[in-house]
Amino acid sequence: MSKEITLNHITKIEGHAKLVLGIDKGKVRRCELSSIEGSRYFEGMLKGRRYDEAHEMTSRICGICSCAHVVTSLMAIENAMGVVVSEQTEKLRVLLTLGERIRSHATHLYFLALPDYLGYESALAMASKYKKELKQALHMMKVGNRIITLVGGRDLHPVSATVGGWLSLPSQEDVREINHLLHGIKKDALATCKLFFSLKYPQFESSGESFSLVDESEYAVLKGRFVSEESSFEIHEYRKFIKEYHEARSTANFVVKEGKHYMVGALSRLNNSSVFLSRDAQRMLKKSGIKLPSRNPFENNLAQAIEMVHCIDHALKMCEELDLHDEKVVDVVLREGTGVGAIEVPRGTLWHEYQVDGGGCIVNANIITPTAQNLLNIQEDIREFVPRIMHLNKEGMVLEIERLIRSYDPCFSCSAHFLEVNWC
Amino acid sequence: MGMTEKLKVGVFGITGCAGCQLSIIFNEDELLDLVGLVDLKAFPFVKEVNVKEGFDLVFVEGLVASPDDLEVLKEVRENAKVLVSLGACAATGCVPAYRNFTLKENYEHLLYKKEKDIKDVKPTPIDMHVKVDQYIPGCPPDKKEILSFIRCLLQGKEFRPYSSPVCVECRRNGNLCLLEVGKPCLGPITAGGCDSVCTNRGFECWGCRGPTADMDLELMIKILKEKGFDEKFIKDRMRTFVGLKLPMLERVMNVKGDNTESHNKD
Repeated sequence: MSKEITLNHITKIEGHAKLVLGIDKGKVRRCELSSIEGSRYFEGMLKGRRYDEAHEMTSRICGICSCAHVVTSLMAIENAMGVVVSEQTEKLRVLLTLGERIRSHATHLYFLALPDYLGYESALAMASKYKKELKQALHMMKVGNRIITLVGGRDLHPVSATVGGWLSLPSQEDVREINHLLHGIKKDALATCKLFFSLKYPQFESSGESFSLVDESEYAVLKGRFVSEESSFEIHEYRKFIKEYHEARSTANFVVKEGKHYMVGALSRLNNSSVFLSRDAQRMLKKSGIKLPSRNPFENNLAQAIEMVHCIDHALKMCEELDLHDEKVVDVVLREGTGVGAIEVPRGTLWHEYQVDGGGCIVNANIITPTAQNLLNIQEDIREFVPRIMHLNKEGMVLEIERLIRSYDPCFSCSAHFLEVNWC
Repeated sequence: MGMTEKLKVGVFGITGCAGCQLSIIFNEDELLDLVGLVDLKAFPFVKEVNVKEGFDLVFVEGLVASPDDLEVLKEVRENAKVLVSLGACAATGCVPAYRNFTLKENYEHLLYKKEKDIKDVKPTPIDMHVKVDQYIPGCPPDKKEILSFIRCLLQGKEFRPYSSPVCVECRRNGNLCLLEVGKPCLGPITAGGCDSVCTNRGFECWGCRGPTADMDLELMIKILKEKGFDEKFIKDRMRTFVGLKLPMLERVMNVKGDNTESHNKD
């Protein structure tokens, strides 16, 4: 029996993706995942622009990860130009990034993933039976948005972060508000763990290694080496290890590490940094039943739930440590240079690299998003996964494949960008 | 709108960052009630079951950047009584359409690599392809403005978009003028309604809500030049969010140039 499945519009993900699947006599003959979003060419558009414009433009790559792009972009530019920011600046960037992760995980878990497991077509359709859970989700999203707004000035595409520091700072009163709000959603995050631990996930093992930044002293956010179970390198060496290639059928990149596909995201972070989880997050990890290292992408949902608990605790620690004082933005001295920025964002590790000339003009830019890194891994997972669900009809198979794809929390609007950069 | 029949609503996204659709969802306190007040027929970003026709109202996020985008947009238009352009991509093309003004030679050699089904389409706002009934501008759009628009519609009231420049709100908010401190602020020529959210924080306006109907572009350019910004910078900045809505920019600048001029050699 031969089957052709073309999934043109996968719902409940960000952006648009396409899957072509050919099955012949019980074997997967063809499996091609691609993003069909129109390319938006951000890297090319940055060429010729001023060093302090990159973060405002790259923010527009992704709405739900806009803080991530802003912070990564700023850090890469600062590395290129030798700008060293203050500890306060860094802590506020961590807080902004954690606020975004809380918002993003809550949105993904409840609005995009959960309906699949409870048998609903959407979270909104669950409103009558699961109102409490939805309100809980919306409350966590609201707190995430509030943190981002207080620190960054706006919940989507934040405005106050700049090269060398902050154009305006939150007040100590704002930090107290954040502290209070975080305490308020801790129970919601714990309830989220309980809810997601109670769902049934397929047993499946991905063939890709899991990578994330690993810091020496904490669960990595803005710093660390890029590490998997088997290898590790410094972020500025990334070009030696990570290659991007473009396939004609897709507007997305594929990314490989030394020729092999790999996985990034919450599950990778748990695999590599679980010792640094907060006490309550450790407790949740034990309850979850996840056996680390796990290569089961379906457990990424569990990992995100556990991370929510950790992010709240980590953000609370930032609030305790922050003793805000007026601080000028670091003066930028124009100079030539190349710099890499890599941070952990909701969906995995985000990379920005810029080459700046002596006049402060961007000569080259390279951006690698988490979804671009996961894309080949997802495709290969589908190839492995399909033979196990061959007994289902087409519709049933599609549902299972979509559930697998969504567990990665892909953002196909962010994977659409162009690859070729001629570095001089 | 009678009490018995709910407004049939669709939310669609074409090329964009999903931020505008999230701006609807991030009305966290109102979302569930709102969904109860209307009949949400389609919202593929968060719904699996979506219909394609019979809409009273559709919101469209994103710009046209692929043949698929155009197909979806035209289909949506044909099946909707009222089409709302949601956010900057739909209204002006936003940052993705800035590609029209930059470094064509950087891409040209790459375009041929693509297969026919991913044809390169000139990135353009939706009103260059279909009729738009209402704009909710901004990158991102103001999420409260989305709510008040829907409320107006439900109550049969007229929705009035804000048309004064950002400066009006900025001054009312007691901010120092960023032009005065040497920042290239486009507030004077940009439609407000955003409560000057950027300038409140000391970040200059980049013009995301689009030019005001009666903007004085010449004066704006003169001021920026006086502040020491060169023509290339001014053009780049003005075109980042709204380039296609400023077709007169080149003439006003009174400089020779075309889309393919190389910026990175200076």
